[in-house]
Amino acid sequence: MTAEPLPAREVVRSQARRPGGRASTPARDDLYEPDAYGRELLTSLMRAQGGACVTVLLPALALLALYPLLTALFPWLATARLLGLPLTLLVLGGGIYPPLVLLGYWYVRRAERLEEQFVELLKEQ
Amino acid sequence: MTEPASVIAIVAVTAITAIIGARGVRVARTPADFLVAARQVPAPLNASAISGEYLSAASFLGVAGLAMLEGLGALWYAVGYAAGYLVLLAAVAAPLRRFGAYTIPDFAEGRLGSPALRRAATATVILICGFYLLPQLKGAGVTLQVAVGGPVWIGVVVLGVIVTLGIASGGMKGITFVQAFQYWLKIVAIAIPALVLLAVVQHPPVSTVTGPAPPSFTHRTEVKFPQSEIISVTAAIDVTAAGNVDGMAHHGPFVLTKGHHSIASGATITFPAGSPAPHVEANPIMTGAAWTSPLLQLGGRPDHALAATYGVLLATVLGAMGLPHILVRFYTNRDGQAARRTTAFVLLLLGCFYIFPAVFAVLGRMEAPGLYTSGQTDSVVLVLPRIMAGGELGVVLGALVAAGAFAAFLSTSSGLLISMSGALSHDIMGGGVRAFRTSAIAIGIVMTALGLAVLNISINVLVGWAFAIAASTFCPLLLLGIWWRRFTWIGAMGGLILGGLASSIAVLLTIVGVGSSGWPAVLLSEPAIWTVPLAFLTMIVLSLATARAIPGDVTQQLLALHLPERVRLPSAADRGLVAQPEPAGS
Repeated sequence: MTAEPLPAREVVRSQARRPGGRASTPARDDLYEPDAYGRELLTSLMRAQGGACVTVLLPALALLALYPLLTALFPWLATARLLGLPLTLLVLGGGIYPPLVLLGYWYVRRAERLEEQFVELLKEQ
Repeated sequence: MTEPASVIAIVAVTAITAIIGARGVRVARTPADFLVAARQVPAPLNASAISGEYLSAASFLGVAGLAMLEGLGALWYAVGYAAGYLVLLAAVAAPLRRFGAYTIPDFAEGRLGSPALRRAATATVILICGFYLLPQLKGAGVTLQVAVGGPVWIGVVVLGVIVTLGIASGGMKGITFVQAFQYWLKIVAIAIPALVLLAVVQHPPVSTVTGPAPPSFTHRTEVKFPQSEIISVTAAIDVTAAGNVDGMAHHGPFVLTKGHHSIASGATITFPAGSPAPHVEANPIMTGAAWTSPLLQLGGRPDHALAATYGVLLATVLGAMGLPHILVRFYTNRDGQAARRTTAFVLLLLGCFYIFPAVFAVLGRMEAPGLYTSGQTDSVVLVLPRIMAGGELGVVLGALVAAGAFAAFLSTSSGLLISMSGALSHDIMGGGVRAFRTSAIAIGIVMTALGLAVLNISINVLVGWAFAIAASTFCPLLLLGIWWRRFTWIGAMGGLILGGLASSIAVLLTIVGVGSSGWPAVLLSEPAIWTVPLAFLTMIVLSLATARAIPGDVTQQLLALHLPERVRLPSAADRGLVAQPEPAGS
């Protein structure tokens, strides 16, 4: 889901430029060109990163928003007990943090991988 | 009641902070020195420093106090304070670090190219930091009052003077090491007492916290009233009093009849074991079942609890990214990837910390019901060790929490005052060290005076408002600025003004007592639920309507935000933007 729509165009363009080019990474210069192609490269990067951002925030949103909503819909949840302790205490007093932290670390790895792919894409030119 | 151990602990924390701070300033004198040194800071240390600056009076005292008062649903504040870093991580951390602006006004001007927008952002920085500084001062007041007795205002003034002089003299800039030290001090100071009280000191099983309301005194208890209160008594109690009750001086035993009684400040009433604890009239009694509900109940009332819960979540989760004194810390990361790793680590550190306020809230409800009577639930973390553990153990644990609490006020209020003075002196007074000092002193005096005016409001509620304003202003500015190509300065300006005005007017109306129940109470005291969408909508609609104001260099700006450092052109990598004369939080 990174920069799939691009490869065919990149190859053509950068090969066309290379003979007279001065920079070692022509594709990088493309990024700074004010034309439609540079813009598209940037947009594809932003889309990929924005997609990763949304895929980590949606589960987090569900985690935070569903518990109060379910409690409002099913009032017995408010006084539910688990292992002899109030469910509220187990969730809000600690249980909710490990999934949030794991989501955070998962996002870091994913964002770094996406960047790696983007850099590789530019180097391939 | 004076507690010498707590006083010594507070003085020691202040002295250590001042000494490390002063040495740090000598080592890193210029912004350039600071940056060179700072960019070698490893992620765990950096994350400790961010957490150290972030964990304020609200986290250390306020969450436990509010949860004890209004029920476990108030723990959503803590969840939101932590979860805000997930949003910061996923949407803001790396791009903002790559952009290279040091403050939000720098970002606003750099991204959208408008000096007018910069000034609006500067005013918003001062507004948010101001709201955030008030509860820190109140926290200091509560802490010193527990430690040395006397009225609450003394601590407010003491912290105001210490921080103002510290910053104005340049001797208390929160360098990375001080802030990192403060995080570890804070977590030790809350975790050890919590674990000792839970595991070592005898108490009823935690599962009985849902027992019948109201909580009753487990043993003969002396309740002090530092402020005058009207209390509500459910059944006649034989008490011993010293001080004015219902306008009559009492010295000795008398019967506190069913009904309302006004207790003068300075009075002490001793309740027998087993009697139900009276409560401050303004705060309704909560049954054990209501108290353990996971919905946030404003003032302990169950009206519109779902909306109130979502309001707090929206404010805290989205407000965390808009706190000016925290954001500057992200520039001490080497690059965008390091910024991400640091932020993820912050999430871990905060998650570990926020387990402990819940412990204090539960133990406080069972073991310190006198705080409901005196209206002092904000001090539960400070007084519980002495109440539950007698003798030397109680003294040592009490001193530990006092030290941790003072560390919280010192680190956060220093960071806030630096941000405010930096913004005021740099953007409004023309810059320079002299302007910075004048600003620090002027703001310090004004904020201390204001701090004396809000002593009756829960610490956590005050902090929640600072988050609500940040979520209604800087959150949409940052998110749209980073992710939306068609954003314009006019849209940003409109949203900043409308979101900032709407949220702060709602908060001010709540402070003066407008809308005390029903929907008005929810919408005014938890304004984020409507002011955040309002700000986003304003920014988007106005930007679409002013497409001609899209900056000509928008592609360059977006590249600066999103391109990994390895593939950047040097000119963009070294943008550095406007150098700060006073590196806030350096």
